[in-house]
Amino acid sequence: MIDPGIGGRVLIVDDTAFNRRLLARLLRTIGHEPFEASDGRAALDLLTDPDAPPIDVILLDIVMPGMDGYQTLEALKADPALRDLPVIVISGVDELDSVVRCIEMGAADYLPKTVDPAILRARIAASLAQKRLHDNEREALDRQAATNEVLAIMSRSAFELQTVLDAVVGAALRLCRADYGVAYVAEGEAYRAVASAGGTPELDAIERAQSLRPGRESLVGRVALMAEPIQVEDVLLDTDYAARASQLAAGYRTLLGVPIVRDGAVEGVLGLTRNEVRRFSEAELGLAVGFAEQAAIGIANARLLATIERQRGQLARFLSPQVAALVSSPQGEAMLAGHRREITAMFCDLRNFTTFSETAEPEEVLGFLRLYHATIGALVVEHEGTLEHFAGDGIMVFFNDPVPQDDHAARAVRMAVAIRERFVGLAEDWRRRGHILQVGIGIATGYATMGRIGFEGRYDYGGVGNAIILASRLSSEAAAGEILIAQRTFAAMDGAIPAEPAGDRQLKGFSRPMTAYAIGRPEPTDAAVADRPAGPAGRAAS
Amino acid sequence: MIDPPIDPAVFAALVEMTGGDVAFVDELVDTYFDDAREQIAALLAAVAAADVPAVVRPAHSLKTNSFNVGAMELGALCRDLEERGRTGELEDAAARVAAIVTGFDRVRQALLADRTARATG
Repeated sequence: MIDPGIGGRVLIVDDTAFNRRLLARLLRTIGHEPFEASDGRAALDLLTDPDAPPIDVILLDIVMPGMDGYQTLEALKADPALRDLPVIVISGVDELDSVVRCIEMGAADYLPKTVDPAILRARIAASLAQKRLHDNEREALDRQAATNEVLAIMSRSAFELQTVLDAVVGAALRLCRADYGVAYVAEGEAYRAVASAGGTPELDAIERAQSLRPGRESLVGRVALMAEPIQVEDVLLDTDYAARASQLAAGYRTLLGVPIVRDGAVEGVLGLTRNEVRRFSEAELGLAVGFAEQAAIGIANARLLATIERQRGQLARFLSPQVAALVSSPQGEAMLAGHRREITAMFCDLRNFTTFSETAEPEEVLGFLRLYHATIGALVVEHEGTLEHFAGDGIMVFFNDPVPQDDHAARAVRMAVAIRERFVGLAEDWRRRGHILQVGIGIATGYATMGRIGFEGRYDYGGVGNAIILASRLSSEAAAGEILIAQRTFAAMDGAIPAEPAGDRQLKGFSRPMTAYAIGRPEPTDAAVADRPAGPAGRAAS
Repeated sequence: MIDPPIDPAVFAALVEMTGGDVAFVDELVDTYFDDAREQIAALLAAVAAADVPAVVRPAHSLKTNSFNVGAMELGALCRDLEERGRTGELEDAAARVAAIVTGFDRVRQALLADRTARATG
């Protein structure tokens, strides 16, 4: 607060006019500004008056009428706002016991009654130095606390730009001792107020209604133009300044604008104003620049989030939601690089599809496939399966990867049952047009290596393992409308869904026969087969 | 009169302290007179009311101011009165205050004479 080497404001508290005058005179000759109070009460009134200039050192007489030196000292030390003001007790040489008492009560020093200018100078200088050190410390602590507060908010709400800007403007206003603060953010060519502190709702409304373009007419425009901090000492003397509406509403005089810069572009402006003509100091400018940097990080984070959200949205249209989420998650790279996991794989394809595609019109085939994919796609999402591919009539879905699912075998079987149910309605329409279409489904459980498969420019998320091959073979083996599951799937779902032995099957690529189970079709009244009772056939179109 | 009422060396130091600003020293001396009149009034009131502790504060203030202008003898009288006021042993309070009144008058005469001497000399 006080610049080093410059005199301080010294309050003389003494009941005799003679002493006050003499001390005031001496203080003036050694470069300090004296203030006077004739007793403790008057001193406290002056010290707590918000309009009075802040005092740096107190010279306190002990023997006074009314509130004496001890009482004054006690009151000062009890007030958190005044506690740290250095107090020099004025005392005669015959009053050393009083001095001791005062120092025990928190006085910084003492001065003999018979004043010696050299001693006065030295004692005041020492106390002022102490006060300055303390002020600097307190300011540094304040600064650090405010910066920490903003950082904490940024880490807690990194992607909430409004929260971050509110915190930045509030802290800048307080630490730079401004009366009003606004953060403006670029919107196309212009800048708009998005956060403010210290203003009335009316003033905020005026600020927010403005759209400020780069140019000389406004502080924001100038900062945007110059891409550097700009200070206007007295806006009333600035003939180019044209943002009069907000100036009139706020009554500000001194303005400081600091650019919020990201990648060399002025993304926003942090504006601070004072309602009196008083320049922002170098230290305050430095603080404002620091806060603008934090605002820049906030804006960068918000933009980054918007980009990620957009990419995730686009990805989700091509990838299954689980894989899209995996790609943008922190552990995504490691997961994509490949990992071994027990999965349940489900293959589904259509019986008679080849005949259908040869006899139907191509538009009919595509129309059917769209409907089929849409129906099955919805069921995959509903059962939280990971879709590996759609290839014509063939579909592969796996469970328990990348998102772990304890009940992956049962989930796969439930989804297969749901597909078969829905397909009944779908196939009915086509049967009327003369095309008999049926699904065959195979499910197998086992370890597979999962991850990114393919080559640069065309990657799929998929797996390699016997379970996947087995599921595919079982699907080929399945009769129309049949769901065949492997031994391990049957064991893993632990009776959750009834299944019947379907014999040992000799499958291509497997040296020994594989035991298969079939999931029975529900009787019309049997609700135990799937999660819910089989609905009427028409529901499949939903 | 054993000692001069004003120690010239102390008074000279006061003048020097103000940077030789004689006009200010005159103002200061007038302030000393004003303060002293109040302090003496308070002392007389304390004696009249037989309120021993009430002499302490005015005696203290008059002592300090007197030492600062070089009125060493008056200052010493005030110091004795202040000390006795603190301990409460003050049978001769009236006599001591009377001595202070006389002492102050001598100091005042001396300071005014000095001022006249400076103005004419």
